Amino acid sequence: MAFGIRLLVWGERACFTRPEMKVERVSYDVITPSAARGILEAIHWKPAIRWHIDRIHVLKPIRFESIRRNEVGGKLSPASVAKAMKAGSTAGLATFVDEDRQQRAATVLRGVRYLIEAHFELTDRAGPDNSVGKHLDIFNRRARKGQCFHAPCLGVREFPASFELLEEGVPLPEPAPGVEANKDLGWMLHDIDFSDGMTPRFFRARMQGGVIEVPPWQAGEVKA
Amino acid sequence: MILQALARYYQRLIERGADDIAPYGYSPEKISYEIVLAPDGVVLAVNDIRDTTGKKPQPRVLEVPQPEKRTVGIKSNFLWDKTSYVLGVSATSKRADKEHEAFKALHESALAGAPDEGLKALLAFLQRWSPEQFQVPLFSDEMLDANLVFRLDGEHRHLHEREAAQALRARLLGGGEKGAGPAAAAEGVCLVHGESAPIARLHPAIKGVNGAQSSGASLVSFNLDAFTSYGKSQGDNAPVSEQAAFAYTSVLNYLLRRSGDNRQRLQVGDTTVVFWAESAGNEADARAAEDFLASLFSPPDDDSEAERLRVVLDDLGKGRPLAELDPDLAPGTRMYVLGLAPNASRLSVRYWQADTLEVFAKRLAQHAQDLRIEPLPWRVEPTVYRLLLATVPNREGAKPKADDAFGNLIGETMRAILGGGLYPRSLLASTVMRIRSDGNLSGMRAAICKGVLVRERRLGIRTSDEEISVSLDKQSTQPGYLLGRLFAVLEYVQRSALGGQVNATIRDRYYGAASATPAAIFPVLLRNTQNHMGKLRKERPGQAVTLEKEIREIVAGLPDEFPRSLRIEDQGRFAIGYYHQSQAHFTKHDAAGDAAGPTKTETEGAL
Repeated sequence: MAFGIRLLVWGERACFTRPEMKVERVSYDVITPSAARGILEAIHWKPAIRWHIDRIHVLKPIRFESIRRNEVGGKLSPASVAKAMKAGSTAGLATFVDEDRQQRAATVLRGVRYLIEAHFELTDRAGPDNSVGKHLDIFNRRARKGQCFHAPCLGVREFPASFELLEEGVPLPEPAPGVEANKDLGWMLHDIDFSDGMTPRFFRARMQGGVIEVPPWQAGEVKA
Repeated sequence: MILQALARYYQRLIERGADDIAPYGYSPEKISYEIVLAPDGVVLAVNDIRDTTGKKPQPRVLEVPQPEKRTVGIKSNFLWDKTSYVLGVSATSKRADKEHEAFKALHESALAGAPDEGLKALLAFLQRWSPEQFQVPLFSDEMLDANLVFRLDGEHRHLHEREAAQALRARLLGGGEKGAGPAAAAEGVCLVHGESAPIARLHPAIKGVNGAQSSGASLVSFNLDAFTSYGKSQGDNAPVSEQAAFAYTSVLNYLLRRSGDNRQRLQVGDTTVVFWAESAGNEADARAAEDFLASLFSPPDDDSEAERLRVVLDDLGKGRPLAELDPDLAPGTRMYVLGLAPNASRLSVRYWQADTLEVFAKRLAQHAQDLRIEPLPWRVEPTVYRLLLATVPNREGAKPKADDAFGNLIGETMRAILGGGLYPRSLLASTVMRIRSDGNLSGMRAAICKGVLVRERRLGIRTSDEEISVSLDKQSTQPGYLLGRLFAVLEYVQRSALGGQVNATIRDRYYGAASATPAAIFPVLLRNTQNHMGKLRKERPGQAVTLEKEIREIVAGLPDEFPRSLRIEDQGRFAIGYYHQSQAHFTKHDAAGDAAGPTKTETEGAL
């Protein structure tokens, strides 16, 4: 893969929420491809490119921790926002957090570190002045300098991600002691298919030698 | 992973033919009465089928078509329900007429044209019936709001057990017809087994978690709109097939059942823990593994049993393989441990661990070793729950309450034990704090301090280069440990000089300050001790000499100046040193048969 990139990401905590347990949150064991894509897009993304995650290396043992937080139970409905726009006034358009509390528990990951291997493709929105080399250079330059459009996060915004570009030719970092090499992670969210009614697509995630191979988006093993 | 493992366990239970576990579309429910119908729908009899062996008649648990999930709406169950639905009478419901209407409508549409004799009888019954007929001698007020089933006269099985009824039920489930069975659902990929199947909108409720609503709580639910994403509603947020949703909830309800023979459920603080085994070999292996883990989690109260378990734990801790200790156990059996806690009509997962039996057994052995302190302050290895009771206020005359424990301390400790990770630091901090505030230095508390420090050291967090020993370590040069020992000796001197009847010993008065700020307290204490020594020298010169020697030895190991303050881990060591030293006096006394008052430090047996 000529235009692949390798990015190290790490953080104190992470929460890659399982869809079935997104209310009382429970995290997946490892980062999901869509969360990894989100991190890359925070560094560089244009409509002309689409990121694909190829491989995820797990560099720290999987550890969990439980926390509880106060959150809100409701959100503003689109209908009332539309009404306010039509009326030209925001009167009554508000959520008071102290009147709508929900305490929620979360079982989150503690001390994570991953190596993301990914590449991108040009989409049909790429014009004549877009080329693979250009976007690759932009990404590498930005990642090297630590630049990003918004702070990349590990699953949820409260858990920021630190990142570092792993330059070409630099050997892979050694996983920390205690990393389980082989593990069946079950059905994991691959990504949301935004072109098809926002359908979630799943794949069977397996960790082999500490590495998770992510099947390509249109592969048969990814099911919508 | 959790749902997958549960669904797999359901499969195995079905294959094994376990009791209380219902096939798809059915569920065990509490039924009190049966109505016997003639083929033309006339009520012939009403039988009380409750179990009357106990003091109070208990409803019998029958396998009936799975109930609808009811909150505020009127939804009727199929072929059984409570009286307000079946007969339109109720002591509590104000809308029994509407509920009966729903029952009638459902069955009239579902049973129409059914050739079966029993189903025809039910239809005829519904046409004849009016709530006014609810009268003695057939019916009594006691029946109100109990669950009813039907039976055709002259048959043993109930109406819902007839082949025709079951076939109809299967068709209703499969077709997803309105009103019967779960509502029509869209197809999607099930995230439990990855096949395309109808997606469950609402998942059945889970009963049996302490503190949750008695009608059941949900593990998977989206009961507020802030919990939904991408404009999806209910079950579409997490596509789980009807089959899988049924499987994981039934098996969880089975694991959570409250009956005496259920060893797979235990309560640890506010968390209800269930565990189960999955064996590659036969079911007996899985059963043996479950029993073994149960005995590790809650050690038997019986002395000889506890002793045997201790031997097993000791051997495991020394690294002997499990198979050698008990040939019945297959070390490769996979164990699953799931901790659930209620939260606002939902269930949250406190911890989830999946590993082999060998790994779990090793970790529990490690836990027992980390905590071990000599002399052993307990008869039976303490459960996590008892351990945590040591971190809450021990008020005189009142039992310690687990509610007083810090937030999630129990959960995190349990996770540390099962996962082999660090104990939460707050376990040490709250134990030390409690010792200082209520002055009760029990062996359990010293053991907790030791456990936290030993485990941190083993996992690479070193607060000192020195190991913490199980029993009195005279070679130790740890200031915290030495000061704890010194304090114990000073207290002992006081007691020897003044007898056991002192109103407030130096421990009662100075423990907190001595363990936190030694430099401010110890010089005063040493000065006062001279008075006690003076008295002792006159009365028992021999003992005075030994004690003086002991003090001199300890002080010689200390740095030139008393430390100004001790960090929390050194305060933990202080507690350990104190415990070791005071217990050493105690045991020496026992050996010598000395009549002087024993130390007050309690040794805790089983609660």
